[in-house]
Amino acid sequence: MYMLRRLRALIDGNIIALLLLIGLLGLISFTGHRFYMYIATLIMIFGIFAMGYNILFGYAGLLSFGHGLFFGVGAYSVALFTLNVYRDPLVGVLFSIPIALLTSIIVGILTLKHGRVYFAILTLALSMIFWSALIKLRWLTGGSDGLVGIPKRGVLVDLSAPTVFYYFTLVFFAAIMLGLYMLNKSRYGLLLRALGTNEDRLPFLGYSTFTLRMIALTISGVVSALAGALYAVFYSVVTPDVAYWTFGAEPLVMSLIGGSSYFLGPLVGAIIFVSLTTTVARFAEYWMLLLGAALIAMILFFRGGLLGFLESLAGRFKLGVYLRWRF
Amino acid sequence: MDLTSFLVQALIGLYKGSLYWILALGLVLIFGVVRVINFAHAAFYVTGSYLMYTFYTYTSNFIVSLIIAMIITGALGAIVEITIIRRVYKLETIYQLLATFGVALIANEAQKLIWGKGVVYISIPETLSRGVNLGGITINYYMALIVVTGLLLFIATIVFMNYTITGLRTRAVWRDPVMSEALGINTRLIYTLVFFTGTALAGLGGALTVPLISVGPGLADYLIVTAFIIVVIAGLGSITGAYIVAILVGVFSSILVLIVPELDIVILYIIAALILLFRPHGLFGER
Repeated sequence: MYMLRRLRALIDGNIIALLLLIGLLGLISFTGHRFYMYIATLIMIFGIFAMGYNILFGYAGLLSFGHGLFFGVGAYSVALFTLNVYRDPLVGVLFSIPIALLTSIIVGILTLKHGRVYFAILTLALSMIFWSALIKLRWLTGGSDGLVGIPKRGVLVDLSAPTVFYYFTLVFFAAIMLGLYMLNKSRYGLLLRALGTNEDRLPFLGYSTFTLRMIALTISGVVSALAGALYAVFYSVVTPDVAYWTFGAEPLVMSLIGGSSYFLGPLVGAIIFVSLTTTVARFAEYWMLLLGAALIAMILFFRGGLLGFLESLAGRFKLGVYLRWRF
Repeated sequence: MDLTSFLVQALIGLYKGSLYWILALGLVLIFGVVRVINFAHAAFYVTGSYLMYTFYTYTSNFIVSLIIAMIITGALGAIVEITIIRRVYKLETIYQLLATFGVALIANEAQKLIWGKGVVYISIPETLSRGVNLGGITINYYMALIVVTGLLLFIATIVFMNYTITGLRTRAVWRDPVMSEALGINTRLIYTLVFFTGTALAGLGGALTVPLISVGPGLADYLIVTAFIIVVIAGLGSITGAYIVAILVGVFSSILVLIVPELDIVILYIIAALILLFRPHGLFGER
């Protein structure tokens, strides 16, 4: 009876939507359509990136302009590991985890002790240090040309067939999403959100703001680095562009589009963003102009993003009971 | 390393620092008074550059195009403040940053649309391109002009802030906007004015840069980071601090480049990270 109650507490609209989405993504592989699978892979990778980003942005209320750093660390650690140490994509992707963990802790020590404004600027500066190091350390990173030939076929796994790589990404995607869902439901998820809602009260309740922020940053950094690692294996190429701050601002835009205060917001944002960049951007060259305008319109009129808009619609038509989007 | 090249490098640093200062000044003013981190600052700076390019190629009058570029950029800034930024004052800092980020995206893309994706460049006016030869490197009058402009802007800002009635009002708003409003100061007007001045200064800086760097897409993304770093090292909102830090960083980094050439762009970021590690609120920050 107790277990059943625990289980019921875990189930809500989010997990149902998530499982449906994972199932749908699985179905896409059966169509065997190259372009759909390409888009779906990008959606999964950027979905992971945006969800990881939003732990910091939506939960802890910390605006980072340097997430390209973590993405880049993931991508470059896979590239360097598979090219120089052990030729296997799976081990390479797993290898990026401890590296990202270490990076997050260093970044945390440097940035988390100051206010939020400083955090935004410092993460920007750190990601630029990393970016210029990637360009300058030509012997290691290949400079602005980047690293090419990251193997899909390794000693342990062979991902060279598109379908196999697709499932490989899907497994990581599903595992990370379910992990984040558990975090969201857990006590720590609540504490991390408290960080964003009312930071000043946490010390009174006996929690260290710094430690909690560090936890948020570490989770966010590792998840973002995993996205970067998958990205590097997917394209077999990695260039310093991924560490430039404008690239790191993309998950921010995704989180805002979807709704940063919703668990699934960044994922919804990633789906919209990737679909738009891969289809519309081909025809409308200056689509960033529209993106900027959309961003401002959202900040001025609906800060809840798409999900917030849907929720207010549901509220208007008294559908709230059926649409339990909220945390 | 001989003394001449050292001195020349220091002079170049002085001029680089002055450029950093002109870039950072508007940002400091806007943050200090309006309390908004203007992410679009570099976008305005580059707008100034493009406007300068256009007007200079049509009129070939340096001073006139400089002034026109400055005023138009300031006017654009004021329009942005009235239509967008004013609405987000009451929101959290994050949303203010994001609103200006949106403005930056629009501005960058609009620039590509108007001036194309290539780089634009104008040559230094005849009279200013001459100069003194020091140890193989020519220091021209244009560099001197920039150093002098920087110094004049610093003096003008200090004088304006401390010895005029509008400056007094601005400082009052800077300290305590609510109290100032209670005392009958039109804070809205002050905000718009500061935004106008800040972006106009950015436009001036941008206009002065065109003869030195070829201006193109992506420059703003790069410059905003430099500007932020100067401001953060100085401490947010400190005008004197920003001037000193900009000059110091300029001189220091150009001398360091002489010693360790391969560090070039990294130096600035490393200095910033180190200083913030030991002095979180910057060298001249309050709190």
